[in-house]
Amino acid sequence: MKAKWILTAAALSLAAGCATQKGFEVPGFAFGCPIGDTKVSSMDDLVKAKVVSEGRRSNVQATEMRCSKVSGDLLRIDANLNNDSRSVKRVSYKFRWIDREGMRAWEEEAWKPLMLYDNSNLVINTVSPTNKAVDFRLIVRGDE
Amino acid sequence: MSPLRGIALAGAVAAAVLATGCAEKTRYGDARAVETLTNEFGSTDLQMMAESMARSMSQAPVIASANLPVVTVQEVRNKTSEYIDTRAITDSIRSELQKGGKVRFAVDSAGMGQQTEELKRQQSELYAKEQAAEMGRMVGAQYRLEGNIVSIVKQVKDTKDVYYKLNLQLWNIRNGLLEWSDEKEIRKTTTRG
Repeated sequence: MKAKWILTAAALSLAAGCATQKGFEVPGFAFGCPIGDTKVSSMDDLVKAKVVSEGRRSNVQATEMRCSKVSGDLLRIDANLNNDSRSVKRVSYKFRWIDREGMRAWEEEAWKPLMLYDNSNLVINTVSPTNKAVDFRLIVRGDE
Repeated sequence: MSPLRGIALAGAVAAAVLATGCAEKTRYGDARAVETLTNEFGSTDLQMMAESMARSMSQAPVIASANLPVVTVQEVRNKTSEYIDTRAITDSIRSELQKGGKVRFAVDSAGMGQQTEELKRQQSELYAKEQAAEMGRMVGAQYRLEGNIVSIVKQVKDTKDVYYKLNLQLWNIRNGLLEWSDEKEIRKTTTRG
């Protein structure tokens, strides 16, 4: 009886392990986004690793992020921003591009202002400016 | 102290206080910060338009799949009601694409005068013949970039709404086909009070 329970528990933990590995086919990537050696086992982990919040605390949070390769060697990024408040919120964002050595692959981008309606989601997307950019950070700044 | 002298002294003190209060202060700022000083076309609009267009164009099949295609920049017509230096937009797009290493740019009509002048100058007796740039070696562009920027302005009492739309097109010079086109829209609303 005890052995049966142990086997069931082992099977469940294996299944859970497989579930978290779903979509991580390429080593060093999670949801298509480059992660290097960072341990990412969920979308929340990926968002924490890639998004930097600056300025005033805001109700706007990045909740999802996916990446893919376009035009052969450029990185395309889709990031979902969520405003969970009952009012319109304004934030600014920019992407920071990092090269293979961990240095800046591109000059600092301009801040891009954004308006999010109350209780809404908005997907922002971009493409890396150069094939030297192999990693990135999304910087989100509360404007109000 | 005579009353007249007292008034003069008080006036001088008031002037000094005013001068201190109105003293100008200059500080450096962030050239890439969001600028919302007025409703008119500003640096943030220019930067957003240029970045968005350059990134979009770099994904166009004729740019992404070709080996450094040669592009020439033509006019972006300003169809708005305000003065906009559209050359600044195309210059920024050109810089971003050139730095990205995806495109080469041929001399455009605006720079043609200076280019031919320099070529002619090098053909003069002043220059060593073997090092001088030869005539008839300029590379013609395969594609030309042109576009329009339009605006719609509406104002009611204390609210002014401005909508900008930049449309760019990349035309194949040889066959006249439109190879890529994209738009960037911006809306700004100013409310007084």
